[in-house]
Amino acid sequence: MGGDAAVLRLRRGDPDALATLMARYQNRIYRYLLRLVRQPADADDLFQQTWLRVAEKIHSFHTSRSFEPWLFTLARNLAFDHLRRVRPGSLDEPVSADSEEETKASQLASLDLGPFEQLLAHERAGRLAVALERLPVRYREVLSLRFEEEMKLEEIATVLDAPLSTVKSRLHRSLDQLRSMLETGRTSEVRE
Amino acid sequence: MSRGNEHDEIRERLALFVAGALAAGEEDRIARHTATCPSCAAEIERWQLISGGLRQLRTPQPSAALFEGTRALAEAELAAQTERRRSRIVLTLLTVFSWTITIAGWPVFRLVTSGLLSLLDIRFRELWILFAIFSALTWVAGGSAAVLLSARRRHERRLA
Repeated sequence: MGGDAAVLRLRRGDPDALATLMARYQNRIYRYLLRLVRQPADADDLFQQTWLRVAEKIHSFHTSRSFEPWLFTLARNLAFDHLRRVRPGSLDEPVSADSEEETKASQLASLDLGPFEQLLAHERAGRLAVALERLPVRYREVLSLRFEEEMKLEEIATVLDAPLSTVKSRLHRSLDQLRSMLETGRTSEVRE
Repeated sequence: MSRGNEHDEIRERLALFVAGALAAGEEDRIARHTATCPSCAAEIERWQLISGGLRQLRTPQPSAALFEGTRALAEAELAAQTERRRSRIVLTLLTVFSWTITIAGWPVFRLVTSGLLSLLDIRFRELWILFAIFSALTWVAGGSAAVLLSARRRHERRLA
């Protein structure tokens, strides 16, 4: 929330508040960045840049707004700038075939299940993670924000700086595409 | 709307239904339809497998070293930003103060020096020069004080 005590303290320059907010959001921000850029080394770098940007910009943050979408917007802008710089065209192009190896996001474990169910769930989750990684970045991000970060559509619209209708249609297309990949076993050549 | 058309339309919306991206009224309509349509009910289950899977993907975590390194850098940046902000405020206050002194100084200057001026027979143009010198000295003194104050605060922060 915008009126979060830690956010207010951070605006006054309290370093303990920064540590509190970092501890609270570290996993979610890192996961989101990793979903966008897919490479852990890039995600590490962007994670650091995001928090530096928070420290730099927190005085211009309006407490009437919600901190969480603001934070994710900072991370997103940095990640997209990075993608434009490092892999121009990656925002629209399908994922290249050279990243077929198992990545961090595809090394999944299942919940507390029996060995057989765990194996099945592990296999299913692994396929889902691989399919997710094959999607274009704009589809990956909307799925991550909705299902992993459990953001409301309005919050996603704020992060994406897009109308609600765009968020809905993108979410729909992303799910269709993901399901199509899972059902056909096709994990490449995906376009928006 | 015919039953077939409604079925097709609802089926098209099931992905968004499972994603919780529909308005309450639309959700109710879909719930009513699926209660009597086994095909759509099965379709919802298939979508739920995907949405449930997405929700349960493992959360990758930053390493402790990355967290600590980032925290140290961000704290340093925060301190620097706070310092810069304070310096800007001090500078603004000093500027306002200097202008106030300058503007308020003119009538005072005239008042104090009017008797002396008549004795020394100094013309109006020369009086402006004297006032300009006085103002310049005020600004230089104020600026120097700001620079010294800022340098001292930075030094104190480094020692802290």
